Amino acid sequence: MTAAAEAHDHHGPPPIHYSSRVSPSVLGMFLFIASEIMLFGSFFTVYFFDRVVNHGVNGTWPPDGFHRPAFVAGVNTAILVTSSFTMHWADTSIKKGNRKGLCAGMVLTFLLGLTFLLTQVIEYHRIGFNTSDTSFAATFFGLTGLHGVHVFIGLTILGVMTVRAFRGHFSPEHHHGIEIGGIYWHFVDVMWIVVYVTVYLL
Amino acid sequence: MTDVAHAHDPHAAPPAPTGWHRLTAPGWLRIMWVTPIFFGIGLGLPVLLRYLAGWDPVWKGSVLVTVELVTTPIGFLVGLGGFDYWAYYASGRPTRVEDHSGHGARSWRDYFRINTDHKVIGIQYLVTTIFFFCVGGLFALLFRAELAQPGDQFFNPQTYNVLVSNHAALMIFLFVIPAFAGLGNYVIPLMIGAGDMAFPRLNALSFWLLPMAGLILIVGMVTPGGGPSAGWTCYAPLCSHQPLGQVFFNMGVQWAGASSIMTALNFLVTIITMRAPGMTFWRLPLLVWANFTTSLLVVIATPFIAGSQFFVMFDRVLHTNFFEPAGGGYVLGYQHIFWFYSHPAVYIMMLPGFGIISEVVAVMSRKPIFGYRLMALSLMAILVLGFSVWAHHMFVAGMAGWLRVPMMVTSMVIAVPTGIKIFSWLATMWNGRIRFTTPMLFALGFLSMFVIGGLSGIYLASVPIDIHASDTYFIVAHIHYVLFGGSVFTIFAGIYYWFPKMTGRMYSERLGQLHFWLTFIGFNLTFFPMHYIGLQGMPRRVADYAHRFADINLFISIASFGLGASTLVFLYNMVNSWAHGPRAPGNPWRALTLEWQVSSPPPIFNFDELPQVVGHPYEYGVPGARHAIFGAPQPTPVQSEPAGAD
Repeated sequence: MTAAAEAHDHHGPPPIHYSSRVSPSVLGMFLFIASEIMLFGSFFTVYFFDRVVNHGVNGTWPPDGFHRPAFVAGVNTAILVTSSFTMHWADTSIKKGNRKGLCAGMVLTFLLGLTFLLTQVIEYHRIGFNTSDTSFAATFFGLTGLHGVHVFIGLTILGVMTVRAFRGHFSPEHHHGIEIGGIYWHFVDVMWIVVYVTVYLL
Repeated sequence: MTDVAHAHDPHAAPPAPTGWHRLTAPGWLRIMWVTPIFFGIGLGLPVLLRYLAGWDPVWKGSVLVTVELVTTPIGFLVGLGGFDYWAYYASGRPTRVEDHSGHGARSWRDYFRINTDHKVIGIQYLVTTIFFFCVGGLFALLFRAELAQPGDQFFNPQTYNVLVSNHAALMIFLFVIPAFAGLGNYVIPLMIGAGDMAFPRLNALSFWLLPMAGLILIVGMVTPGGGPSAGWTCYAPLCSHQPLGQVFFNMGVQWAGASSIMTALNFLVTIITMRAPGMTFWRLPLLVWANFTTSLLVVIATPFIAGSQFFVMFDRVLHTNFFEPAGGGYVLGYQHIFWFYSHPAVYIMMLPGFGIISEVVAVMSRKPIFGYRLMALSLMAILVLGFSVWAHHMFVAGMAGWLRVPMMVTSMVIAVPTGIKIFSWLATMWNGRIRFTTPMLFALGFLSMFVIGGLSGIYLASVPIDIHASDTYFIVAHIHYVLFGGSVFTIFAGIYYWFPKMTGRMYSERLGQLHFWLTFIGFNLTFFPMHYIGLQGMPRRVADYAHRFADINLFISIASFGLGASTLVFLYNMVNSWAHGPRAPGNPWRALTLEWQVSSPPPIFNFDELPQVVGHPYEYGVPGARHAIFGAPQPTPVQSEPAGAD
């Protein structure tokens, strides 16, 4: 190491040069979502094989005696989609400097997401079949369960951001947490629409 | 810089914790008590839930093991301090300003901590992966000892299959893939002129998932009830009916996969957002290009193996019917999903090696790389084509007949971009002033061996030959020519090439060359005869075999012990040279790429001043060519992200 380098070291790192207009954390979140989509993709693939290639256990899907609560889940879908709009409201509010809008939007989003998850838990409890009942049940619990885990992770992020919103950590200039948490939440919502259509309607 | 920067001097170690703080500060003492707490959570939670739900039995081994393999590693990471920064943020306190206290190693102890310096993480990766390389190699020697004679000598067939499965799993998930990640970690930020990776804390976390994944795989072998013996491919439904050790296998692969995805994401963001001024994509060294494509593959494909391991684990633990024919599951679905990852995975295990070879060949031949743009584009072509060939692993599996020919054609088409690379390397060497140093010898060894492996690959891509050779030693020979003669040779080339940069010492050239020749000869004596016995019909993954193969198998076993012994030369050379080797200059190979323009080892924050990239990285022998200049007037950054932004 040269003497000049030695002397310079004590001043900390040189400033970072960013070679892209995209912020690293937003790009990272998008790439993470790409891999998440592929994880869902593997669950959709096994669904495709079990249903389209193999025609389930005896050619009917869902098998006889299995009932899918499409209406309740549809209401639940509406709840989750609404939460995407409240999330967007929170995001635009803080961009305009409206901290009350941010807090209200975050609380609403969190409560709507929690309602969705609790409804899902109750639905599991009353659905009348278990994971071990045919490949239909496997893909049903697989897809909705994987999505449920993502809602739980999303709610954890939203919870943290809500607390930080109330403590005033966000400003029109610095609201990365809201923006990135919001991107994730929108992903969870859009993915649910695909899961809902596939699992409950088709 | 201002006085503010002086307040946290990056060279000074953070004050050592005293008293009770020793137990709460991140580190091994905290691991001692946090891990048992998480172990307790993993034990208590399922038992409590099963009790409340009234399920019988409340205490169920396979469920407990599955949950434990999630919670205990998390407990370890919490104790180590992997989540400290995020936990601090999540608790709602103001963002901590980065003080760089976890950056850089001041003593050997810093290698056993969460360290955010990509150079430290790179070395952590390499040492860990070489450890698992030795363990996986020992497994191979053990079952080669069994195969020296027909009949059962040392192991019963179950133990034999456990050894084979874990040999493959360790070599793939704990050696080849992460060894490339380690080399990339060390070299990529330096090559693109960045101070560190884009997400240093994520980088530290993704390294520490790896030793745990390896530990889980190894512990799974000695689980009461028996180890996993379904092969590294873990086909359903065989794998759903294995002893308890299989759950360890599934979860170990998950942790290694998670580590791999996080590293790939980090590479991509680093390469896109952290390049030095003037470093356009068409000026990136080919190693960076190779890791860029590989990382894209990892981010897109690796979730599929995560999915496949979840399904077989659920089939075992939750009694689902994803692949159980009795419950309406489709057995071949597993193979489709698995190979949709695992065929791209062979490119994940090869493309970074292509990058290393491009560096070594250009530098050691003193010539510009031939067809730079086509070299980069052929990587992209392999990436795209790699997703369209998976079912060539399933020609005899009973899949839809119409899939065979399209998969055969796409598999053969992949030889085109690969051929472009091979011929470009040859053209680069043509009329060059070649220096036969150890990295170059390994590069040449790679070129010749990989061509043999590639050719037998084209054989196997054609359906009729594949049907004949399926599940024989011909496959074993092919995979080892591609992964040992291919990937492992490139890893050795990379380790020797960057050894002076990483350690600041020169390795012993004499021992390096001895290592190469022993490996090269031992490798060929071990694996070349396998082509022959494979075509004669000797099946793979079977502990016993027909007497007519006895002589040649004894020969292979003796050769494999020689191959194993050659690793001792490598280990001695590495350890001895690191401790006592002569000091390395900053640029011993007279290379142009940025990592060689700083001292060996590099300064703690890589570059004392930002390099300005002005030309191509491979203009060897071109008069007046420059890749980068230091001390140029800096352009204003596109966008600067203030430290500690919410």
